Amino acid sequence: MDLAAAPLHTELTLLASDAPESSRQRLSSLGLRVGSRFSLLQKTAGGGRVVLVGGSRIALGSQLLGHLRAEAVK
Amino acid sequence: MPATTQTQKSLPLKALAANLPAPSAKACCQTGGGVGAGAEAPVIALAGAPNTGKSTLFNALTGAKVTMGNWPGTTVEVSRGVWRTTKDSATCGCEDCDCDPEEQRLEMTLIDLPGAYSLDPHSPDEALTRELLIGGPSDERPDLTIVACDASRLVNSLYLVAQLRERGTRLVVALTMLDVAEKRGITISPALLARALGCPVVGIDPRRRTGLDRLARTVRAVLGQPLLKPRPVPATDDSLELDDDRFTWIATAVEAGTSASGAPAATLSDRVDRWVTAPVLGPLIFLGLMWAVFQITTTVAAPLQDLLDGLFSGPVTDGATWLLTQLGLDGSWIQGLVVNGLIAGVGMLLTFVPLMTLMFVLLALLEDSGYLARAAVVTDRLMRRIGLPGRAFLPLIVGYGCNVPAISGTRILPNARHRILTALLVPFTSCTARLTVFVMMGAIFFGPFAGTAVFGMYVTSIVIIVLVGLLLRGTLWKGEPIEPLVIDLPAYQRPTLRLTASVTWVRLKGFLQTASGIIVATVAAVWLLQSIPVHAGESFGEVPVQDSVYGVGAQALTPVFAPAGFGSWQSTSTLVVGFVAKEAVISSWAQTYAVAEPDDNSQPGDLGAAVLQTFTESSGGHPIPAALAFMVFLMAYTPCVATLAAQWREIGARWTLFGIGLQLATAWLLAVVVFQVGRLFW
Repeated sequence: MDLAAAPLHTELTLLASDAPESSRQRLSSLGLRVGSRFSLLQKTAGGGRVVLVGGSRIALGSQLLGHLRAEAVK
Repeated sequence: MPATTQTQKSLPLKALAANLPAPSAKACCQTGGGVGAGAEAPVIALAGAPNTGKSTLFNALTGAKVTMGNWPGTTVEVSRGVWRTTKDSATCGCEDCDCDPEEQRLEMTLIDLPGAYSLDPHSPDEALTRELLIGGPSDERPDLTIVACDASRLVNSLYLVAQLRERGTRLVVALTMLDVAEKRGITISPALLARALGCPVVGIDPRRRTGLDRLARTVRAVLGQPLLKPRPVPATDDSLELDDDRFTWIATAVEAGTSASGAPAATLSDRVDRWVTAPVLGPLIFLGLMWAVFQITTTVAAPLQDLLDGLFSGPVTDGATWLLTQLGLDGSWIQGLVVNGLIAGVGMLLTFVPLMTLMFVLLALLEDSGYLARAAVVTDRLMRRIGLPGRAFLPLIVGYGCNVPAISGTRILPNARHRILTALLVPFTSCTARLTVFVMMGAIFFGPFAGTAVFGMYVTSIVIIVLVGLLLRGTLWKGEPIEPLVIDLPAYQRPTLRLTASVTWVRLKGFLQTASGIIVATVAAVWLLQSIPVHAGESFGEVPVQDSVYGVGAQALTPVFAPAGFGSWQSTSTLVVGFVAKEAVISSWAQTYAVAEPDDNSQPGDLGAAVLQTFTESSGGHPIPAALAFMVFLMAYTPCVATLAAQWREIGARWTLFGIGLQLATAWLLAVVVFQVGRLFW
């Protein structure tokens, strides 16, 4: 599922990213990379999400959510 | 304490340290194994991810006052200061070369670099950090780099450390936000973390100035050691493989140096964010906060303004008049310059100091608390509509304090076209210099609704930004791609008195310096132009202002503003003066009306009543729409020459000139529309 459809407050693993290269690099340096575990804390104004990863809270715009695929950690 | 700030794009760090004006240093105080201050002093770079407390640490160590805030992108320029240490202390208070040699005083040059998550730059400010840290030959790089790392989000903060460890540089990790980490149930052992990272780790709290002595001792010790052996990395150019290696190394270090108690609980920041970034409530809270800021500013400052106004128009004017009379200068041109020029002009401007102080305090509280990053999230959708990423909101909000740093702040944007567009929109943000005029106009024309009228001007400012942004997005910026929003949300912090006071003072000092420089010069120039007659038979300094060079020159421009309802020479002339700096608008008005009262020219007179009368006459009996049109024009046209200089530097001459044309056209058009529509109702 992409992040727009992912549940809040559930531990997730990032499976794939086809975000633009610059965004992918930015996310990677913030710790959100394929294989990393994170959770979505809430929806934001504008349809984005706040992601909790490695102790950081990162706000993602709605345009990015469809480019990031994740699955719930079992 | 000396500290300098400079925009620097190409010089290596040591050349930068040498090129900036040398800090004062006392030769007799130079100790520490022969290492002295100045060009030979060790150069220490202060790096780290945005918002980890670098600038606060820099200020604590050097005593300087560079811009600080709890939002990404506070530092977009390079600052340098002198860090004076002794063997036991992070700060040496020796003033008169009275250091005990046993103290082993050592002065170092400390450079505060723009925040960067990594050495892979995404924006010009990050590129500058990379260039200064690793760009030049090894002998031009810093002698040591302190990397400030946020303990509450170690994984992200350590990415830069991982990259620097691959290069064998002297490194000290300064752990900040330990209290936030503790509240989140994270315990960190600096010793274990240091062993895993292969470099010293020191826990500090730069906001409360704890741990700094230990940091100084560590830095001094590491300076005497050889360079670190580079951390081995896979022999590959594949960035993904290198990333994997770095994050594995980071994860190992974090696991070794930290322990977490249970699953991460929702923090106070999370609970607050649930409201302030929420889809509907978030924008409403943002608007409510902005309204409260301007309402508090105008209502609380009003009695203090009245007090100062009474002081300048009463005792100060009377005292100066008495003194000049005693000196035999009664009725002379010197009295005109001093009383009607400097005291009326500068005095009127200084009455706005309480208002600006309050405004700066409130903005500092918003910045220090961490709210501004949330505001960027809330406004992201709006920003995208005008062709800009959400991060562009940050320089725009800085513009509401002052346009000049806001123009520099566009460097946090990765895309050059977005930087140009943002720099063109910044002048439409209503800076505090314009606020002074709005407050005065509000008091004259809107009475008890002055606060709401001022807030309305800020809403209008946002509307203008949106309209101009839409116009440019649909034309010159058509089809320009916009990066999705990715922004780090710092933990909320309780603003500290020291930080709030410091930020407020830096900004207020800037305002006062402008007042004492440009304003005095402008006041003198306006007085001179008002004193020169254009008709024969009138003498210098004794001419009605409408017959002076100033008045006649302004009258030539009045037809341009007649359709906007303020086609009077008094209003036109002040707009010309305001092109230099908006701080000069009120002072020039005060001069004009003080000079224009021939019956009692030793007193500034009732400025408000005079302005009201002028607007009533020039608008044909519609002063309120004319005043609104004037305020809109004042908001939208060129802010000041300092902003133009900043634009020239950041986006070049062509775009700066384009911007001037855009601002003037927008300002005139909107002013005419406001007046012509408004006169139908008022």
